[in-house]
Amino acid sequence: MLSYIVRRLLLIVPTLLGMTALVFFIVALSPGGVGAALLSQEMGMRPSEREALRKYYNERYGLDKPIVVQYGRWLNSISPIGFPKRDDGKLGTFRVKAPDLGESYARGRRVDGMILEALPVTLLLNAISLPLTYGIATLVGIYAARHRGKLFDTVSGSFFLALWSVPVILAGVLMIGYLANQQYFKWFPAAGLSDMLAGSKPFFPARMPSGEFEPGWLLDRLWHLALPVLCLSYGQFAFLSKLSRGAVLENMRADFVRTARAKGLGERDVLFRHVLSNSLIPLITQAAHLLPAMIAGSVVVETIFSVPGMGRLLVDSIKLKDREVFLSITLIAGVLTLAGYLLADILYAVVDPRVSYE
Amino acid sequence: MSSQLSASAVALPPSTSVAVGGPTTDSPRSPDAPRSFWRRALGDAFARYGARIGAAWVILLAFCGVFAPFIANTHPLLLKMDGQWSMPLFRHLTPGDVVLLFATAMAALAYFGMRGFRPSQRLYIVVGAVLLMIPLARWFVTPPITVNYSQYREAEKAGRVQYILRTPVRYSPTDYLRDLPDRRLSPPTRHHWMGTERDSADVLSRMIHAARIALTIGFISTGIAVAIGVVVGGLMGFYAGTVDIIGMRLIEIFESIPTLVLLLTIVAVFERNIYLMMAIIGLTSWTSNARFVRAEFLRLRKQDFVQAAIAAGLPRRSVIFRHMLPNGVAPVLVSASFGVAAAILIESVLSFLGLGLVQEPSWGGMLNQARNEGGAFSWWMAIFPGTAIFLTVFAYNLIGESLRDALDPKLRKLD
Repeated sequence: MLSYIVRRLLLIVPTLLGMTALVFFIVALSPGGVGAALLSQEMGMRPSEREALRKYYNERYGLDKPIVVQYGRWLNSISPIGFPKRDDGKLGTFRVKAPDLGESYARGRRVDGMILEALPVTLLLNAISLPLTYGIATLVGIYAARHRGKLFDTVSGSFFLALWSVPVILAGVLMIGYLANQQYFKWFPAAGLSDMLAGSKPFFPARMPSGEFEPGWLLDRLWHLALPVLCLSYGQFAFLSKLSRGAVLENMRADFVRTARAKGLGERDVLFRHVLSNSLIPLITQAAHLLPAMIAGSVVVETIFSVPGMGRLLVDSIKLKDREVFLSITLIAGVLTLAGYLLADILYAVVDPRVSYE
Repeated sequence: MSSQLSASAVALPPSTSVAVGGPTTDSPRSPDAPRSFWRRALGDAFARYGARIGAAWVILLAFCGVFAPFIANTHPLLLKMDGQWSMPLFRHLTPGDVVLLFATAMAALAYFGMRGFRPSQRLYIVVGAVLLMIPLARWFVTPPITVNYSQYREAEKAGRVQYILRTPVRYSPTDYLRDLPDRRLSPPTRHHWMGTERDSADVLSRMIHAARIALTIGFISTGIAVAIGVVVGGLMGFYAGTVDIIGMRLIEIFESIPTLVLLLTIVAVFERNIYLMMAIIGLTSWTSNARFVRAEFLRLRKQDFVQAAIAAGLPRRSVIFRHMLPNGVAPVLVSASFGVAAAILIESVLSFLGLGLVQEPSWGGMLNQARNEGGAFSWWMAIFPGTAIFLTVFAYNLIGESLRDALDPKLRKLD
């Protein structure tokens, strides 16, 4: 097992290299190359700023060098191991260093700081959505499989396929248009992560001395997150429900389940100890494929609901033509996806002893 | 023999399943001859309601896409103005319209006529004729560069029109109703059955014309994905060993690229271009096809008929494409069908974010106009285009599911 994980981690290196190369060369081969940001950002700058921007790009990428060298320099600066840049501009010895994602000139900030602000928001959205989706979907799948051919099963089968096909952009726009709008129902907030006054609120719901009910910071945050999370979850919920129904159905006919029944186990034990644990395997493998879907989903959801996460940062930086930012976000999204695949592979081996990677 | 065809082993009695083992679609057959593997798989899939409904919607969309200028256009089909007859609609057809109509006519001719040709020959004739037509249309079809949409309405109001024959929807997708300024962003009315946009364009007309983009992007990007997937997966499965390992790394690299994020990046640095979009979607989504084909080929390469083909000294090209591919490509149909749905979704998301094509109407871009400044909500801009995206994606998913059920005997046993 350990050797498998080590081998797997080593294999990540060429994959990462390939991915970063792909991302970098797309930008480098675009009209104007990496330095095209110079042209789009120099307008309206003071001469001193322009000078600083040129110096920055030249130092970071070496714009007068061939593309391959530019890629190498960029890779060196973004990687956590490499040759750190010394104060005199020369490269130091090979060692572990802080990755440098560069600087956003459109906003005058360091990219790492912007990403460190945005990433937790996206992770929060997904951290709420993922367990919720998996939990409910597994239960619905078991229920549908147990009542196979009955009304619930047949209706839910087509319903889930339809639900899975509802585009997030439609669901999000309808939700914000009908449920967070003065014209119809103003039940939910239309934008942001918390109320303007949330900072001064108590954490838990409380009754104020004046007798008023004060929902508090936590409820306010959940209230703001409700629609985005719903939007992010329903499609995956539909997909996972179908998947878990299929898996449960397949396992219910397996020999080991017949044996369990024959030795007199109760239905509940059969279902939750024998069938369920085996049905989780395809669900876990699916988790790897959900990660890219989530990144894509958060781009849309965060834009519709104005949530300041990674997806929104990406769309904003593209509209600002802020190359360093979207280069970094593409990179991080790729690394996260890769990590998801690795995690799923390892989990797969952990939950299913029949799987061996030796 | 029957075990090489995963689906035939279940559905047919052994005596008939022997006869369907191979690429037999090319030869003419008597009516009672056993159906080929492909015909049977497709027949099984489209015997289901879901697939039929899905296919009906796709056909309706294709019809709308091809004949869009004749369904929704401001230019009348036939006009008698100041005593002069003219056909403004035909004069304003673009080269793209003409090529599309010609291709449809050729496809219909190949399907219903051309009795003397084999299917592969018919395909070559149609493709050749359409390719020939593209430069011809570019040279000879020259619509006026400046278009005046309001002239017909103004002439009608002035009483200069003696006879006018219009299309069912009376507005072009780029007709911004310059002469009718009060129709801006209006809910459905008698004139505009699905309302109008922020810039006064008719929603229904734009919806009909947008079917083109949705269908083209779905088909072409999936076509690219299938082509790459079949070649890479086929080579991996055929050669196994080192080629397989390298191929798997390649697949992993491409799978770890988040398609939407990459597309956004490319949109940011390159010009907006629908062909680039199709190419990128195709280049990033071939991996599932390759996985399927690889798995099938790994299974097939040990089988007797493949070994026999190799032993007979057939060239590798022939072994891979004529013997193995027809037997191993069926699962690709399933992933292609889902792939079309995914491609349409991606395009609509890009347009929704305001990063899609600028001039051409697109359902995603229209949906974005449902939210206005100040929080006003134009429901007609959300419901109609959104439902169109939903129905299209749903249709392809229905077809994909039916195909999967028809091709996968393991699932069939369960249901």
